[in-house]
Amino acid sequence: MSATPFTRRKFLISTAAAASSAWFLAACSGGEAETPAAAPQSPSQVPQADIDAAMNTETTLTFWTWVPDIQNEVKLFTTKYPKIKVNVTNVGQGAPHYQKLRTAIQSGQGAPDVAQVEFQYINSFTLGEGNLLDLTPYAPPALKDSYPEWVWSQVNTNGGLWGIPQDTGPMGLLYREDLLQQAGIEPPKTYEDFAAAAQTYRTKNPDSYLVNVAPSQAGQMIAYMWQAGVRPFTFDGQQTVKVDLASEQAKSVVKFWGDLVTSGTASNDTDFNDSWYQGLANGKYATLPIAAWGPVFLQGTAGKTSGKWRATDLPQWDPSTLVSSNWGGSTDAVLKLSKNQIAASQLALFINTDKESALKFANEQFLFPAMKEILTDPSFLNQEFKFYGGQKVNEKFAQISETVGTDFQWLPFMDFVYTNFTETLGKAFADKTDAVAGLQAWQDACAKYAKDQGFTVA
Amino acid sequence: MTDAIPGKHRPAVVAAEGFPVLVERDRDQEAQAERRRPRKPTSWLLTVFMLICVGYFLFPLFWLVVASTKSNDDLFSSFGLWFADFNLVENIQTVLTFQDGVFIRWAVNSVIYAVVSAVGASFLATAAGYGFAKYQFPGSVALFSITLGAIMIPLAALTVPTYLLFAEAGLTDTYWAIILPSLATPFGVFLMRVYAADAVDDALIEAGRVDGVGELRIFFTIALRLLLPGSVTVLLFTLVATWNNYFLPLIMLNSADKFPLTVGLALWQSAAAGGGGAQALFSTVITGSLLAIIPLVIAFLFLQRYWQSGLATGGVKT
Amino acid sequence: MSTLVNAAPEVASTTPRRSRLTAAKRRQYGAAYVLVMPFFIIFVAMVVVPLFYAGYLSFYKERLIGGTSFVGFQNYADALTDPLFLSGIFRMAIFLVVQVPIMIALALFFALAIDSGMMKLAKFSRLAIFVPYAVPGVVATLMWGYLYGRDFGPFAQLSRALGFGPPPFFTENGMLFSIMNIVNWEFIGYNMIIIYAALRSLPSELYEAARVDGASEPRVAWSIKIPAVRPALLLTVIFSVIGTFQLFNEPKLMYPLAPNVIGTAWSPNLYAYNIAFVNQDANYAAALAFLLGIVIMIVSYIVQLSNQRKERRS
Repeated sequence: MSATPFTRRKFLISTAAAASSAWFLAACSGGEAETPAAAPQSPSQVPQADIDAAMNTETTLTFWTWVPDIQNEVKLFTTKYPKIKVNVTNVGQGAPHYQKLRTAIQSGQGAPDVAQVEFQYINSFTLGEGNLLDLTPYAPPALKDSYPEWVWSQVNTNGGLWGIPQDTGPMGLLYREDLLQQAGIEPPKTYEDFAAAAQTYRTKNPDSYLVNVAPSQAGQMIAYMWQAGVRPFTFDGQQTVKVDLASEQAKSVVKFWGDLVTSGTASNDTDFNDSWYQGLANGKYATLPIAAWGPVFLQGTAGKTSGKWRATDLPQWDPSTLVSSNWGGSTDAVLKLSKNQIAASQLALFINTDKESALKFANEQFLFPAMKEILTDPSFLNQEFKFYGGQKVNEKFAQISETVGTDFQWLPFMDFVYTNFTETLGKAFADKTDAVAGLQAWQDACAKYAKDQGFTVA
Repeated sequence: MTDAIPGKHRPAVVAAEGFPVLVERDRDQEAQAERRRPRKPTSWLLTVFMLICVGYFLFPLFWLVVASTKSNDDLFSSFGLWFADFNLVENIQTVLTFQDGVFIRWAVNSVIYAVVSAVGASFLATAAGYGFAKYQFPGSVALFSITLGAIMIPLAALTVPTYLLFAEAGLTDTYWAIILPSLATPFGVFLMRVYAADAVDDALIEAGRVDGVGELRIFFTIALRLLLPGSVTVLLFTLVATWNNYFLPLIMLNSADKFPLTVGLALWQSAAAGGGGAQALFSTVITGSLLAIIPLVIAFLFLQRYWQSGLATGGVKT
Repeated sequence: MSTLVNAAPEVASTTPRRSRLTAAKRRQYGAAYVLVMPFFIIFVAMVVVPLFYAGYLSFYKERLIGGTSFVGFQNYADALTDPLFLSGIFRMAIFLVVQVPIMIALALFFALAIDSGMMKLAKFSRLAIFVPYAVPGVVATLMWGYLYGRDFGPFAQLSRALGFGPPPFFTENGMLFSIMNIVNWEFIGYNMIIIYAALRSLPSELYEAARVDGASEPRVAWSIKIPAVRPALLLTVIFSVIGTFQLFNEPKLMYPLAPNVIGTAWSPNLYAYNIAFVNQDANYAAALAFLLGIVIMIVSYIVQLSNQRKERRS
């Protein structure tokens, strides 16, 4: 699919449905219309002629990403643009990847053209002079409409478009239907129900827990806060940040989980290691609050529990609404110091917005899609997962994706925030001490770090 | 460390300095000593106790072997120290073909880094050690002290600056980024200095000079042969250190095709542990680990025979 | 260096060659430089230059907002009052006082046992104990991490079968023991080989007399062999001191298993690494590393000093 009809089609749709909030009606799957006339462009747009010229020049791009098998999507790109060669490198997952990226940027040597950057790290790369290329001039002007509002607000911040969304992680609850049934529990709809259910479950199952609270998983705890309406971070793109982790709302979220841990109702095992996987495989945890990338991941590690799991919404604080949050999700961003800005931006755009490529991500690598088009695609939605007893899990998470709260911002130094979590709030969970005190310690450490680094803390 | 040990005995060669010499007394002396030694009773208590200790050292490796024969699912559901379904062949196949056989690439890299660094470091240390030992040239004390002091420098002080300097020179993410830093072994120079002081008798050097042989030729033709056992020691320890090095390649390298086995395995391990599109790679990591340690273990076995061959310390009577 | 060997050149070189002293010596010095320089060039480039650069960095501070500025000794002052750094040093001191003596004592015992000739399968034992040294830290930590597992590790399974709870490998104090164990496992063999080689080079005349007098093997070992290999022991102790304070691999690789116990500053080296790469603060990391180096030098010096005093007394 070439860039031009896409641009035009989206432009036409966006003009027609400008104020529509029913986004799932606005997105339409189906063939592209071939309209021959040249698209009118906003003044900052890079002219199509320049783009065509760049895509027809021999270029080699370096792409750092840890998505497995991404070669398949990149191949679609290089087949379309044979003059562009792409070197895909996995320099590590998560923290090591960012460390390498930062050191490469600092030394000016060896940085890639395109890099995978998760939502929460974007701000850390747009700090000061900024290391990411503003993709607004390179992207189709109506790109915004391809995404749910909350997704767009993650990448379009402080006056620029900093990455093309690739996948997201709306939060849901996976649970063992058989274990809950055995204990006579219904999947809890509110947190109050959840606490009661955890208690009941525990009395009936001395070797097992309803849920685990991981003491080193800042991302998950932040997602819980996000769901409860907490907005602990702001960053104005310049020098001012707000660090408000210890608000009353946040405290109540943290107290909830802390109480479960201190009373022994919830376990406090470190997650994402052998022990934890074995726990999942052996029925130690009856539920798993996790993001949309969780279902497939679970299949790989808990194979022998196939057919016993189901997916549903997270419990709610307010029974009258259905709200969720996000944990994880990546974009592909272009580095400012790339010498091939046009080609790089087209790579980022293509693999994440081209329908075939995006569907591949969703159906083959099981990345939960960011684009509305894929979120509503029948081939994606209608998949029945045997592992989940035939449930259409994608459909469930697509529904959840609509309920993710908007306006969540990130600090430009999340590396520090995440690591410090493990020493403060996470440690409280691990040691079964006062979680609210741990939260305050986390807040204080982050605020201090911000001040030490020269930020104005609001 | 250089104070002479008074009177009580005259230890052979450089063992007085107490460092790992790959030299044993020559065969004749050895045999004589054996014959003169009275038969000692075998203590079964000691033997059994030692075998228990040996068990402690070997049992994690045993676990590794057992775990390598299991599939991913079995790993999590069967008893750790005994076998389940035998899956070793498939595991090995997966390791060797996963990600287009990058494991083999990593193994080749490990070999290249380790061998080149070991040979290079050994040679440089031998030359420098000999130079320090046999020549009291101006500045030798100062330079040697600096070398000794360097042994105590924590690596953490050096890696980031080294990385930044390498980046300036455009050398990061290259083979040189690993090999060059590994070529400087202050410890090796220290070893060789002590070794050379006794292994190469000054009389030999003088004889060479009298014959009109140039200093460097003396080194290459006479001394080197005598220094060989010491050089092999330095080679062995550098080999192991470079093969097992995790920190340096972690910092310096970005492209997976240049990683050594250590970094590669750690990468797979963290991929297995991570979320979001992650794959369950445990059986691959475990089997890969087993394959990764086999070369060094074999090298140890091979070199052990070399130790036991009872090398002479040259033509000088002790 | 044994005095006997050194005596000869002194006599040989000075007297007859007085007239050609300068020229010959110059030639020799020239050769010496050629021999030493290749090592030194690499050494300077790879060790000295980064060291100076690190020193330079340690006097500056870079902030996310505001860039780099000169701060004199501020980083050092901060480090000396940094509870994370100090607790790391303290933890390593405990390590030193507990783990190193155990490791060296065991290495010594094994070396003596194998050298004694009183056991079967000595060669096999020697190799088996040494083999863990061939195992990279990544693999060693992987193996032990699994073995320590709370739910499915064999120790836990065993203790559960006996009716107890799982052994506390990952608690605050338990972690100390767990890592000590891994380090012991990895390095006892290495230290054993050093001591063993020293033992093998002892001339048997040394203890023939004692044996003839009827001394038992353990007695011989205690009174004769051990003092004779004192230099080897000193060497292993010094290198263990250095190694202990530089501990990095094991805590770093254990972190995913118990992130709350290890944290960012379990060992000073790990702390410096995290400061450099997570906090993006190469300057503070440089100051930390220098201070660590100074601590190492002080402790090594103390060890050597006490050894010299003991030797003088004996």
